[in-house]
Amino acid sequence: MMKQWKLKEIVLMSIFGVVFAVIYLLFYFFGQGLRNFLTPFGLAPFGYEIIFGIWFIVSIIAAYVIRKAGAAFWSELIAGTVQVLIGSPAGPQLIISAAIQGLGAEAVFLATRYRNFSLYVLVLAGMSAAVFSYAWGWFQSGLAALTPGLIIATFSVRVISGALLAGLLGKYISDQLAQTGVLRGYALGKEWQEKREKSAS
Amino acid sequence: MISSVNPALKMVAILIPGVLLSFSFDIFTPLAYLIFVVAFTFMFSNIPVKKWLLVFTPFVFLALGFAWMTMLYTSEGFSGGSVLFEFWWFEVTTGGLMVGISLALRSLCFVALSLMFILTTDSTKFMLSLMQQFKLPPKLTFGILAGYRFLPTFKHEFEVLRQAHRIRGIGRAKGVKGRIEQFRRYAIPLMANAIRKAERVAIAMESKGFTGETDRTHYHHMTIGKKDWAFFASIVGTFFIVIITSYQLGYLNIFGRQF
Repeated sequence: MMKQWKLKEIVLMSIFGVVFAVIYLLFYFFGQGLRNFLTPFGLAPFGYEIIFGIWFIVSIIAAYVIRKAGAAFWSELIAGTVQVLIGSPAGPQLIISAAIQGLGAEAVFLATRYRNFSLYVLVLAGMSAAVFSYAWGWFQSGLAALTPGLIIATFSVRVISGALLAGLLGKYISDQLAQTGVLRGYALGKEWQEKREKSAS
Repeated sequence: MISSVNPALKMVAILIPGVLLSFSFDIFTPLAYLIFVVAFTFMFSNIPVKKWLLVFTPFVFLALGFAWMTMLYTSEGFSGGSVLFEFWWFEVTTGGLMVGISLALRSLCFVALSLMFILTTDSTKFMLSLMQQFKLPPKLTFGILAGYRFLPTFKHEFEVLRQAHRIRGIGRAKGVKGRIEQFRRYAIPLMANAIRKAERVAIAMESKGFTGETDRTHYHHMTIGKKDWAFFASIVGTFFIVIITSYQLGYLNIFGRQF
């Protein structure tokens, strides 16, 4: 399935995975702090939900930059695996959750047949990753034991977070990177180049 | 020793109980398995107890926090039993308390299993065995290893960036807006550098004859032998023994249903 990938695209995706693994790990501790802060108010469950979108961002960035089948899934899986390697306390389970989140984002790109990478699609991909990850969390971390009201509230917060922190922020970061010119060899950079040439002529 | 077990098989062995444990909502099953995992870790590895405790202890508090939250927000399917006490607008029942403790023990089980994996696994060997045993494409494996190798250099690059900013008279940011701007100022160049490196490494790999073919030779051969299967059998087998014992003692509770 990676036949039509160029080696440099695979290495780029891996580097994205590694870089975001570190960022993900930092946010894990940040979420911990946020949660401790919210605990006295009885709002502890929302600590992670608010920032949950950040954990889908690499899918969005990799898919948006490389634009090939599997970019969203593999980059997220790599980020999850590397997180385990650099010692995330969440452990090998993380690899499974990463794969499921990646599938969530990938599903949206697959639905557009990897042709449409507008903001709208990216935001939708972030939201889809949130839905997939929530379904898995429902099963894995025992969310089934919580009241329906809380489940609906945390679910909505997570989906919104996925739309903003993954979809919107992911596009912003990728565009900023494209502006520096380092992505010239990749799909997004080529699109920028074309735009520039058009506006020049 | 756990550290010499094939890493890919080790991962599978740990994932199976890790996933299946998610079905149980009683106290006995995760507790018994947690005791087994901790005992197994110390019997078959030379991880210093102090180091292990240093990593494990914070999660005890986290698990307690998780138990507390579950107790307060237990759904109706689980919150049977008498009311223990009331707290603001929350009612804590014995059923809620049980589920809370169960989920806390479950998360501690996950942590203990993860520590057993992380503290005994070499990351390069893990990637190599994923390629050799699980047939992960070499392009992907070596791509990840190359990316992984760059990790330590980020710290140095960050230092260089900081000094470059300073020499141009950009000091520390003030306020939330400044902080976000500062984050952007560091993150974008750091990532741009990483992308340049990725491109260079890919070209270097190809110019040295790396094609990504799967029928390649390996310098480090990763194998699965009897010892690896023995590890697999004891980790997964004990889990099923715990489940059966729990069932016979009448403790087993799967998704709120008592067996």
